[in-house]
Amino acid sequence: MAKTEENRREYKTEQDFDKEFFKDIERRSNIWQCIQCGTCTASCESGRWTALKTRSILRKVVLGDLSVLEDPDIWLCTTCYNCYERCPRDVRPTDVIMELRNYATKRGNISPNHRAVVGYLKNFGHAVPINDEIRKRRVELGLEELPPTAFKYKQEGDDKDLKKFEEHLFDLPPVKEEKKKGEEK
Amino acid sequence: MVKEKTFSFFLGCIMPNRYPAIEKATKFVMKKLGYEILEMERATCCPAPGVFRSFNKIDWMVAGARNLCIAEKMDADILTVCNGCFGTLQEINKHLKENEEHREIVNEKLKLLGDYEFKGTIDVRHVTEVLGYEVGPWGIEDKIVRKANARAAIHYGCHFLKPTRIREIESSEGPTIIEEFIEVLGVESVRFKEQLTCCGAGGGVKAYDAKASDTIFEEKMKNINDAEPDFILDICPFCHLEYETAQDQLNKNKGCNYDYPVIHLSQLVAFCMGLDREFVGLQYQLMGKDYNFGLEEVTKEEEAA
Repeated sequence: MAKTEENRREYKTEQDFDKEFFKDIERRSNIWQCIQCGTCTASCESGRWTALKTRSILRKVVLGDLSVLEDPDIWLCTTCYNCYERCPRDVRPTDVIMELRNYATKRGNISPNHRAVVGYLKNFGHAVPINDEIRKRRVELGLEELPPTAFKYKQEGDDKDLKKFEEHLFDLPPVKEEKKKGEEK
Repeated sequence: MVKEKTFSFFLGCIMPNRYPAIEKATKFVMKKLGYEILEMERATCCPAPGVFRSFNKIDWMVAGARNLCIAEKMDADILTVCNGCFGTLQEINKHLKENEEHREIVNEKLKLLGDYEFKGTIDVRHVTEVLGYEVGPWGIEDKIVRKANARAAIHYGCHFLKPTRIREIESSEGPTIIEEFIEVLGVESVRFKEQLTCCGAGGGVKAYDAKASDTIFEEKMKNINDAEPDFILDICPFCHLEYETAQDQLNKNKGCNYDYPVIHLSQLVAFCMGLDREFVGLQYQLMGKDYNFGLEEVTKEEEAA
């Protein structure tokens, strides 16, 4: 009887604990203060409708469980900061999730749509670029056809700002191999 | 010393590139209130706190600091109209002023982008906070030429007030800054269930999993519909875009019949201060194109006559 129960349980051993990972997140956040009370999950606006369970994400981090970086749920946080505001231990879960996303991005776990947004920033200097209809509308409203942002200068032939963006910021790792295969199918 | 009554106007992305009428309205209002508005040449995306901070926090701070440097060179506080821009720029500005280690890292990387150095000489402001606290309902009262006479469902959004320890504006659980300000514009705030929740688009969720985002929005919209407001009042072009496009999506995919005008605080104030309706720009929007506020032109002319 006791034996079956033991088989059912999933134990974490020291080998499962990635010290480096935990230490790094610990250095950048207040994760060590977490008492697993669940206020974060209870306050979570996204979690009401999705699979995101903030408490269990935090637990995985404390356990040094790297599988959390492959977990799509960390990308379902809307950064509404409810958990951040209400956490009685000041863990600031939103910040922890941000650190996890940074980690996941380094490993190439980044969705195609998000890659596209980074492309927009590098090409246009905007996450949402302008289009012809809006240009027309701006003129009708008595505004300059193009706002005086970096993109306007690029249009005028001076693209030194955005070239430097392209070169030095948000360098994303290549698309993961397995994902590539999936896309080909 | 920063220049008084002068702002570096930070445009961001969605306002100039999707809702230019908000830009028009903000400029109109601020100029009429006696502020000088400076253009921030060569500025970029703030960059958005949901997506770009998720990918690389340091690069997010560098790109944000570059925008801050543009305003520092003009010696004027930044004015933002968007919760996302406000969230990013206010947070980076405050963080880099306090954290020497990060300031050094960021300044080192800023050199790669051009002649920029973060000095920490300015503040970042949101138009709502300037209107609500600096101008105040007491200061706008005799500047308006008409009242809107309407009931509005106010959407605060997330990043204007939260995290409260960083924003230091007011409580995020029971804010009143917009309610108090719009009362003198003749707008009554209607309470609705779950009023302070997120629109569902933030944090990169809209791009990552549109379905999840839509589910959050659907509930939000149901609660607003129960309160039957005349329009939805927001203070963030990103929420603005979400309320517009997602209402449209619900109508197309879920058989809903929503047509609530979505109005930014700047648009509302501009209208009350006399900006012509064609420049307030509702005709360009997806929802409530024909809405004309509860138009009642009283005040000035009649009093004078």
